[in-house]
Amino acid sequence: MIELKHVSKWFSIGGRPSFILKDINLTINEGEFVSIMGPSGSGKSTLLNIIGMLDQLNEGSFFFGGLPVFELKEKQRSELYKKNIGFIFQAYHLIDELTVYENIETPLLYQDVKSGDRKAMVSDMLDKFNIVGKKDLFPNQLSGGQQQLVGIVRALIAKPKVLLADEPTGNLNSKQGEEIMELFQKINREEGVTIIQVTHSEKNAEYSSRIINLLDGRVASIARL
Amino acid sequence: MFKNYFKVALRNLYRYKGFSGINILGLAIGITGCLLIALFVWDELQYDKFVKDGDRIYRIYNQGVADAGSNVAAVTPPAFAPYMQQQFPEVEGTTRIFMWSGKMLLENGEKRAYEEKGFIADSTFFSMFPLQFLKGDAKTALDGPTSVVLSEELAAKYFGSEDPIGKTLKLDKTDFAVSGVVASLPEHFHLSFNYMLPFSAAGIPAERMQKWGWTQFYTYVKLKQGSDVAALQNKLQEAVKKQAADDPDEGEATSLPRFQALKDIHLGSANFEYDNAKRGNESYVKGLTIIAIFVLLIACFNFINLATARSFRRAKEIGVRKVIGADRKQLIIQFTGETVLISFIAIIIGVLATLLILPSLNNFTGKAISFNPITDPLLGLLIVGVALVIGIISGIYPALVMSGFQPIKVLKGLKPTGGSGSSAATLRQSLVIVQFALSALLIVSTVIVYRQMNYLHQKDLGFSKDQIVYFNVQGKVAESPQVFKEELKRSAGVVSVTGGYGLPGDQFATDGITVPGKNGDKEQRAIHLIVDHDYIKTMGAQVIAGRDFSTQYATDVKEAFIINETAVRELGFGTPEAAVGQRLHWKQWNADSLNPYKQGKIVGVVKDFHVKSLHEKISTTVIHIYPSALAKMAVKVKAADLPATLDFIKATWNKFSPDYPLDYKFLDENFAAMYGSEDKLSALLWIFTAMAIFVGCLGLFGLAAFSAEQRVKEIGIRKVLGASVLNIVAMLSKTFLKPVAIASLISFPIAWWAMNNWLKDFEYRIAISWWVFAIAGIAALLIALITVSFQSIKAATSNPVKNLRTE
Repeated sequence: MIELKHVSKWFSIGGRPSFILKDINLTINEGEFVSIMGPSGSGKSTLLNIIGMLDQLNEGSFFFGGLPVFELKEKQRSELYKKNIGFIFQAYHLIDELTVYENIETPLLYQDVKSGDRKAMVSDMLDKFNIVGKKDLFPNQLSGGQQQLVGIVRALIAKPKVLLADEPTGNLNSKQGEEIMELFQKINREEGVTIIQVTHSEKNAEYSSRIINLLDGRVASIARL
Repeated sequence: MFKNYFKVALRNLYRYKGFSGINILGLAIGITGCLLIALFVWDELQYDKFVKDGDRIYRIYNQGVADAGSNVAAVTPPAFAPYMQQQFPEVEGTTRIFMWSGKMLLENGEKRAYEEKGFIADSTFFSMFPLQFLKGDAKTALDGPTSVVLSEELAAKYFGSEDPIGKTLKLDKTDFAVSGVVASLPEHFHLSFNYMLPFSAAGIPAERMQKWGWTQFYTYVKLKQGSDVAALQNKLQEAVKKQAADDPDEGEATSLPRFQALKDIHLGSANFEYDNAKRGNESYVKGLTIIAIFVLLIACFNFINLATARSFRRAKEIGVRKVIGADRKQLIIQFTGETVLISFIAIIIGVLATLLILPSLNNFTGKAISFNPITDPLLGLLIVGVALVIGIISGIYPALVMSGFQPIKVLKGLKPTGGSGSSAATLRQSLVIVQFALSALLIVSTVIVYRQMNYLHQKDLGFSKDQIVYFNVQGKVAESPQVFKEELKRSAGVVSVTGGYGLPGDQFATDGITVPGKNGDKEQRAIHLIVDHDYIKTMGAQVIAGRDFSTQYATDVKEAFIINETAVRELGFGTPEAAVGQRLHWKQWNADSLNPYKQGKIVGVVKDFHVKSLHEKISTTVIHIYPSALAKMAVKVKAADLPATLDFIKATWNKFSPDYPLDYKFLDENFAAMYGSEDKLSALLWIFTAMAIFVGCLGLFGLAAFSAEQRVKEIGIRKVLGASVLNIVAMLSKTFLKPVAIASLISFPIAWWAMNNWLKDFEYRIAISWWVFAIAGIAALLIALITVSFQSIKAATSNPVKNLRTE
């Protein structure tokens, strides 16, 4: 479903390219749970952002569901993105001025889902993740783990095929982190959502089916669990 | 979708209460100022629009020809109207109004009072200006020589609920019959009268009404459709030139008639002499319009500035929205929508404030402006439109910038920098410069206007205008003024008394004067002050050569002239000393058959003193005694025990002329009234300048807060590295002081130019000194510094560890 061929990204320092990613070749199939690991500055987040269509590449090609992403028109790419990708961040990035309910609802607004359907979808998700009681609270009234949970629900609301997570447990304590990882595993297994996460933690990586190790912008090793 | 936007917008406003408050308050104040001025200006533009066929009505005025002085006078000779009616087929109708004091004693039984604004006019007046008659017939109301038309108010005052038609009313002891009652005059009519008499009642000899040289009439003419005004004006001018050439006394016309459109009278006559119209001042209307635009601009710039600043706070939200699927268009709509919302809130507050302040403005300007955007849907729609435009214009730029943020950058907590960020900063700086340039401009103007007004009120007029009471002589007082004078002098509170015609700041005659044997005996124009022996003493004028009038010289009444310094120059005598003893001739008003001229000699020269406002130059003035023209008396009183002295004057008057109530005034009131419109301008300038500065400061305050917030990390690092609070404050303040300094420099030449132009209206004016600019510059800097230092000090004294950690 996701295919990267000879992907490179760099920026110029004093006229000379400094590589962030160099000649990455990678295929991720539907339903996989992949962890990207590596030391700081190895290009993990950049790789994730490229897969998430939030960043551009300098060289190579990127296919999503067989479509060449960076050859599409802006509008088509935006459609592809909206339909298929959900993003989760280390810092949760909820909109502070919106309640839990409204935060979860927002992606649907941008996809022009009808009001009645929206209500049903949001209620359904609140139920499923057991946060009905929190729906009228604002993000600053929640614990970190709860905020991240809302972030996940928000990412899942539009039924994406791929969930991208950039150090989702980085700001959480270990118990909260564990809960999030178990949730990921459940989503992956029961709903068949493809998950790609960037993580520093060996423990978190163990939940996934494949670990890609990056070093200085290159794939250093791939381990199957 | 919009519900979501709306919620976010309101919650954001609430969350950043201070910032939102500044934003809304600034715009609301700007809108209030702008609305008030707009209402005032709009009202000024409404004059005479109600007159049917008003576009075919013209007033004729006289403009002096270049070498005879370019004075403009609203008055014309009586001959114009009949001449045009007979000679020019384009003329549909004419009407004339007589220029006089307009004050008479009205009596109906016990009810009596002096009433002002009495008009004497042609019977055609009401067909030219179709005013509504409550009673009587407009066509015939001014027909008989004893008819009088009353205003609704006067009719009620003298006749109560009775029908006044045909009833007798005494005017200055003569019986008149009320022939009509007009409804309250329209607010926007350039003429204002309380009662109106026909010319036949004034008893002006018929042959005088044919004169071409006697300019004491306001002439209106209504043209037939499609007439060529310019051609008509030419024809009339030619006729005037021909008349002057045929007159042995004149030779060459000293002034020529011009046509003024009815709609231009109210605003276009500010420099007219002897005008009776309700006048506005076009340049003040324009000036205020400019100020209104300034205030609104400052407020809008503020708004844009604060909105762009605010946008950086929202960077994260934008990033998130983009990541969860928002496209650029949606974000632009959302953020522009927010500024539109804020601008609507501001405009609602502005409208409410306007409603609240309008009564005071009406009070101050003497207008009756009404303002109701609900009952006047067009006005309401206009206001909504303005709110929309302000919101969109102010919001679109920040919205464009913000929607271009790259989500991964802003979500990583990187400040959106690079191209768009720095261009926003440049924009902010330029807007601050413009704001402060406008503010500095207003400060300079206000200071200069204030100083000029002070100067006008305090300038030495060459005589002492204070503690002089004056009144018209009536009844027995008029018959034996000398006896009355002697009676008044018996009071210890009375310093001296003088009688005559021609008090400074009051009415006086302009007539010819001839120096025999010079300039071919040609007449020159001069102000004639008709006085008695005590005039110069009473007014405190200074004799600089020769002597004052004196009863010791029996010939003074018939032969003595005193002239002012300007007359010495204009009549060509060289020095005051040389002028004394020179001969003068004046064609006297009540000429006896033996002697059409008053022939005499100059016995003294007085230092120039002002009899007109300081808008006008002191002109050739001749002072002489002419007892038959004694119309007024002026009493110099002591400041102590003034009420007792006034009571004494009243009691003495009542012994002489009990039939007439004493109607007195203080001379200095006249001078104060001369600068009424400038005084009001000055006050309005203060108010709107304060408004503009306040709004500008609000903006600066907000920006400083924003900048301090943006640089919180930098400040923290600098403090860790050892920067003192003072260093930090200086660093933060410097950012803002530079644009303010640049702004001042830009605005000064403009201010100098504009104020120089304004001052040209005054013959006597202050010089614009450099320190005015220095003060304005320092004031602008200080205001900016104080505003900014609030935030700077707050930022500088905060704990760096906390700030660095949160980053």
